[in-house]
Amino acid sequence: MSKAKAQQPAVIHKVIMVGSGGVGKSALTLQFMYDEFVEDYEPTKADSYRKKVVLDGEEVQIDILDTAGQEDYAAIRDNYFRSGEGFLCVFSITEQESFQATAEFREQILRVKNDDNIPFLLVGNKADLEDKRQVTQDEAHQRALSWNVAYVETSAKTRANVDKVFYDLMREIRSRKMRASQQNNGQKKKKKTNKRKCVIL
Amino acid sequence: MMADQRLARDLTDQGFDAENYVSKLSEEGEMPLLEMKQKVHILSEKTALELKKNVYKNYSQFIETAREISILEGEMYQVSHMLTEQKTLMNTMLEMSLVSDKAIVEEIPKEKEVENPEEETRRNLAFLLEKVEGCSSVTEVPGRQLIHNGDLAELDLETFVQVHRVHMFLLNDSLMIATWLPNRRGPVRYRFQGLYELDNLAIVNIRDAGPVKNAFKVLMFPDSKIYQADSAKSKRQWLDILEDTKKKKLARDKQKRESVVRLNEQQVTPTQNVEESSNPFDERAEEISSDIAMDTEYLNVDWLQELPEDLDMCIAQRDFVGAVDLVERVNEYLKECQKTPAVKEFRARIDHRIKLLTEGLMSELQVSPERSLRGGPRAARRAVAQLIRLGRSAQACELFLKNRSAIIIYNNRQLKFEGATSLYIRCLCGVFFTSLSETGREFHKAFPEHFGCFSAFIVWTKTEMESFISIFKRHVFDSKSNLPTIAECVSIASKHCDELAAGGLDVGFYLDATISENLERVIIEERDNIIEGIKYRSQDDLWRPMNHGTETECLKFAEELASVGLDVKDSIYNVCFISLTINTAQFCKACIVMAQSLLLIHKIEREALITDTLVQIFKAQVKHLESSVKNEKFKTDLKFILKNSQYILEVLMAKIEQMYKLQNVIFPHQLVTVNGEYRRLKSIVANMAK
Ligand SMILES: Nc1nc2c(ncn2[C@@H]2O[C@H](COP(=O)(O)OP(=O)(O)O)[C@@H](O)[C@H]2O)c(=O)[nH]1
Ligand SMILES: [Mg+2]
Repeated sequence: MSKAKAQQPAVIHKVIMVGSGGVGKSALTLQFMYDEFVEDYEPTKADSYRKKVVLDGEEVQIDILDTAGQEDYAAIRDNYFRSGEGFLCVFSITEQESFQATAEFREQILRVKNDDNIPFLLVGNKADLEDKRQVTQDEAHQRALSWNVAYVETSAKTRANVDKVFYDLMREIRSRKMRASQQNNGQKKKKKTNKRKCVIL
Repeated sequence: MMADQRLARDLTDQGFDAENYVSKLSEEGEMPLLEMKQKVHILSEKTALELKKNVYKNYSQFIETAREISILEGEMYQVSHMLTEQKTLMNTMLEMSLVSDKAIVEEIPKEKEVENPEEETRRNLAFLLEKVEGCSSVTEVPGRQLIHNGDLAELDLETFVQVHRVHMFLLNDSLMIATWLPNRRGPVRYRFQGLYELDNLAIVNIRDAGPVKNAFKVLMFPDSKIYQADSAKSKRQWLDILEDTKKKKLARDKQKRESVVRLNEQQVTPTQNVEESSNPFDERAEEISSDIAMDTEYLNVDWLQELPEDLDMCIAQRDFVGAVDLVERVNEYLKECQKTPAVKEFRARIDHRIKLLTEGLMSELQVSPERSLRGGPRAARRAVAQLIRLGRSAQACELFLKNRSAIIIYNNRQLKFEGATSLYIRCLCGVFFTSLSETGREFHKAFPEHFGCFSAFIVWTKTEMESFISIFKRHVFDSKSNLPTIAECVSIASKHCDELAAGGLDVGFYLDATISENLERVIIEERDNIIEGIKYRSQDDLWRPMNHGTETECLKFAEELASVGLDVKDSIYNVCFISLTINTAQFCKACIVMAQSLLLIHKIEREALITDTLVQIFKAQVKHLESSVKNEKFKTDLKFILKNSQYILEVLMAKIEQMYKLQNVIFPHQLVTVNGEYRRLKSIVANMAK
């Protein structure tokens, strides 16, 4: 049994891949993790990965939860979503239905996280299959705009924009966390100053 | 310590010579001897303690072995019985077979492997109570089962450093986590940490997390946990079984929901249901674990703490009386205390053992084809007594009677049907009624004051009587036996019934009610046969005295009649003549046999039929006598005819009257009237002479 080294980067960003089956969630994850394109990857229930990465000069860890299939219980799906800090909502540009499904995923995530500003990227995958495109860039952009999120087209096959979506999302998560901790500190400070007259400054 | 071991080694040595050893020791005086005595004493105590420990450790195997031994004994009898049967079977087959050296004998089918009872016990949730402190509420849910369990390490979510060791119990509807208690002796090894409904559990396989291997996540809002298995295989197993169990639960829930929906007309949407049922266990379980310390004092008595183990010991050693003593003691002790969670938990541990004990006792009484009828009534009585003490008199009663039925069936099978019917019936009745009365006696002894059970005994008796009677009828009536045989058989059975009735168990009326129709038909048939015979013989009756040719032949014939109770010695004349016709002799014989049979089965209910039967037979014969007297052909034989008439109507009738007296039955006036027929015949003759 191997024990984890004690010295791991303290910061972990938790990313969840959501989207219909077959759109390339696993392919994106594996491309990001291992720099390779896996043709057939058996659809698993839920796999998680963790990797050390350098984000803007800072060593952090990314924790990716690659979901798959429909969980039978809504409550269990909610539990997956609850554990994430940011979401890559993936559809395939070659499949209109998968694009439609993103709306449902978005709705569920917002309900569970109860936060309209949750770090979230709309990802149009399989961009290398331009000839089979069913979803126009325009309508995808339109939707992203209405959700106030970014839209990025990727190809797990050619690795186009793969790193970008993960890093962009991590940045969003990071800035969210910073804002949150500032708020927290502010609140704490306020409380403390209320109780005792003067401590810091 | 070292010395102890040496001593133990010396004593267990193959070549150990006690005499030699002691004499060598005693050479050195008193002190070393005393010291030695002390040492041996300590050693023996230690050995006893170790033995106890070992017994406990292997107690399930011990139970098995003890049970097997007792079964084995009975089985040996069966085996030897089967072997002898097999041998005779083979011999007959060899004789029958043309190619005698190639006779094929069918193999005895092998007994099916008995299911491992260990496995079953493990499935039982009570097993959790033995291992996990504070989980009694978990085991109280009916229908809950243990699916899978194992040791895992819980890792820190962020750093993957091991937090502590846990034991995970996957139940059919939830997942229970218990933390490992270090430095604990005894069976309790874990403390309850949490119970999570499967509906809310998201399982995530950690495919790759750098150096950490064989881990998986369990997301149970608001907690998330990472657990590490000790091998890839073990992790795979956990994931598969978790997945499978969740699926099964989903299917069950769906079914349940559907039936609920069907029940109430109003529709309940599934999503609502799921939301409502989120984690009802968590809080309750926490409350309980915090309460435990508070009332352990009451339970913290040495004998009480040791009681579960002691109970195990008793059960293992099949000391059922001792076990029930312990149960009664603990019941008494726990009766007064409050039902706090700790007490409830302890109670559950005891209850689990009571269940085992009850099962053990019941299996004592159980009869199955591959098991022999162990121990006989005494063993059964012992088991019954303990079951009654455990408050299981109804079950005990049922099993006891089933056991008795099996004994009866077994005994009946041992009887071989060969030779005379009456002989077989005599054996059958002997076996059956003995069993019946023995059961009655045993029942009184085993269930004193349990009047509720007595009706069960009566019902049982009736059922057993039914099957006895059906065997009886098959052998007695269906086999077309003659009336004397049938009458003998019926009288044998009736006598047994009377004996039972004297002991307070009346089954005779039942026997009588079920066979009387058959019996009456047989009587009427026999009567008609005899009357037919009378008519037939009367056609060629020449009214000649019997001539037996020689004195010996004549005496032989007289003897024959004497054997049925007819005296003809006075009628012998001229060495070899008898002054009666062969017809008269035959009628008398038939009449006596008939009367004997009828009296054997005489009952108030049948009196009319019996009397009428005899009267009709006599009347048929009188008719022949009368017509002969009036017949011109026999003008010269009138005196001889009258002599025969006198013999039939006076000597024979007197004989029958005597038989009635011997049977303590009042001689019916109808037969007295028949007796008067002789005077009528005489007067007819006298009138004709005029
Ligand atoms: N051409 C092409 N095929 C892709 C791409 N991403 C995924 N695929 C293929 O699409 C199929 C489904 O991918 P997968 O990652 O298993 O989808 P998931 O169900 O969302 O995890 C696989 O055969 C992949 O090889 C892509 O960017 N380009
Ligand atoms: Mg996948």
